[in-house]
Amino acid sequence: MAVPVYRKATLVSRKESPRGYVHLVIREEQIARTAGPGQFVMVRGWHTGDPILPRPFDIVLADPLKGVFRLCIKVEGKGTRLLSTLKKGSSLYVTGPLGKSITEFDSAGTALLVRGAGAAAVVFLAETLSKLKKPVYTVLSASTKSRLVCRALLEEFSNDVFIATDDGTEGYHGNGTDILDQLIREGKVDTVYTCGSHRFARHVKALDLAGKVKGYLFLEGNMGCGMGDCHGCAVKKDGQDGYFLVCMDGPVFRSRSVVVEP
Amino acid sequence: MRMQDFSRDRLTSVSPDLSVDIAGVRFPNPVMPASGAYEVDEIHDNFFSPSELGAVINKTIFLHPRPGNPPPRIWETPCGMLNAIGIPSDGAEVFIRDKLPALRRLGPPVVVSIAGETMEEWIELAERIEATGMADLLELNLSCPNLSEGIPWSTEEKTLERVVSAVVSRVKLPVIAKLSPVVTDIADMARTAERAGAAALSMINTYKGMAIDIKKKRPALGNITGGLSGPAIRPLAVWAVYSAHEVVKIPIIGMGGIDGPAAAIEFLLAGASAVAVGMYNFIDPFTMKRTIEGIRTYLAEEGYSSVREIIGLAHVK
Repeated sequence: MAVPVYRKATLVSRKESPRGYVHLVIREEQIARTAGPGQFVMVRGWHTGDPILPRPFDIVLADPLKGVFRLCIKVEGKGTRLLSTLKKGSSLYVTGPLGKSITEFDSAGTALLVRGAGAAAVVFLAETLSKLKKPVYTVLSASTKSRLVCRALLEEFSNDVFIATDDGTEGYHGNGTDILDQLIREGKVDTVYTCGSHRFARHVKALDLAGKVKGYLFLEGNMGCGMGDCHGCAVKKDGQDGYFLVCMDGPVFRSRSVVVEP
Repeated sequence: MRMQDFSRDRLTSVSPDLSVDIAGVRFPNPVMPASGAYEVDEIHDNFFSPSELGAVINKTIFLHPRPGNPPPRIWETPCGMLNAIGIPSDGAEVFIRDKLPALRRLGPPVVVSIAGETMEEWIELAERIEATGMADLLELNLSCPNLSEGIPWSTEEKTLERVVSAVVSRVKLPVIAKLSPVVTDIADMARTAERAGAAALSMINTYKGMAIDIKKKRPALGNITGGLSGPAIRPLAVWAVYSAHEVVKIPIIGMGGIDGPAAAIEFLLAGASAVAVGMYNFIDPFTMKRTIEGIRTYLAEEGYSSVREIIGLAHVK
């Protein structure tokens, strides 16, 4: 396992795409060299007391040669708003790579069922699978066309990207799970990773329990430290007592091992 | 530098002595983690070696395994955070078998933090920890605000006296009483703990508080209330330590929003013999190392040869 570092890093570029989502490219060579799919970083771009805690973000992509990695941040609270306004060349404090990297790539075909900001979590996995020449099918869902996140990156690394929007402004007018079910019926996928929707998580877990696919969930939690100190990011175990910590035991979990919130 | 600091021994001291004495146990420096806010593992060892700390401590253990509270367990607040973790614990057996030996091997004194749900549990746990021979001090976590048992171990004087004296009478290990600030006068509680035989005090645990999630229109924490920590409570904690130092002779481990050397020095001047870093370990994993180095620099710059010279120095005589 790559051992995480805590470093002052530099913001190389910042770009909003789509509206309300900001892509940050950050230079920190050690993290860029050692990060794997599924891992995340804790980021702090302030010296203030409010906000005070660092924020967790999935690593969208890491470029070991250039020594940079990319994050995609949904701007919704105090911390993300501050991060979204940092200027090129600004300093940030980053801890990472954190969490367990995905290391099993033996599936015959993988589906990535993602919605909203959840799309950012699976890009690194899509890239890894595509480098291994493993088939990747992405179902990218959003409320409307202008909220499709990381679309270009997912198109680059997937054999096919299927769009589903709630309002029908692009692609399939309806539920992304319908497209996933079709892919499974066609025998294209035996493994599914999902992120960004409780509804998707419940669907994938049901498929997993029915033995139709191996299902995995990218989870998030209220995370104070990202490295097992604060015990904040608890997620209830399924079938046994107690909790996992998203930061140490995840953030990617076999769907049948955790309780999915209603 | 003040004029009176130009005494001969101060000028000749090159590197100030950081060691302190907590109930007969020598801490090589006065900085340790607060219980439950720092894990000893490969991740943390890569930041800096926990062998550099003044002491090490575990997340409070109970006799039996506990799952902890349902999420959300933490909530950010201005200059602080609320937590309602609920002390998940593997229980005494696993702790003694797997975790305590790892703490012992690090080098610094080992403080074992324990809590009981009943008087019998306090005693049994204390005796079992002592029997391992791997602990230097016992810290009684009498003050977690998040336990559903709701037993006010350190908010009611008679109960505090009863539990501390019961444990003290059964073990030879020096006992640290970790006190709750949610009382009328914490100095009274400090005096009570001392009278009951506590060899040191940890001050303070978190303040009980709550936050409301305005989107969900419900309490932000799964446990409804939580314990407030972080720099937001620091002045309250400094006052607690200062007021206790006025009335007790036993050493105090001060904590509450320490984010670096300046805050730690405040506590030392207020009367703490050592300090503990909690929430700030989450924000900057080097906080404790920075604090140790910063205290050393401060002492050298101010002309002190030992950290012991500044303990309680702020008290107006």
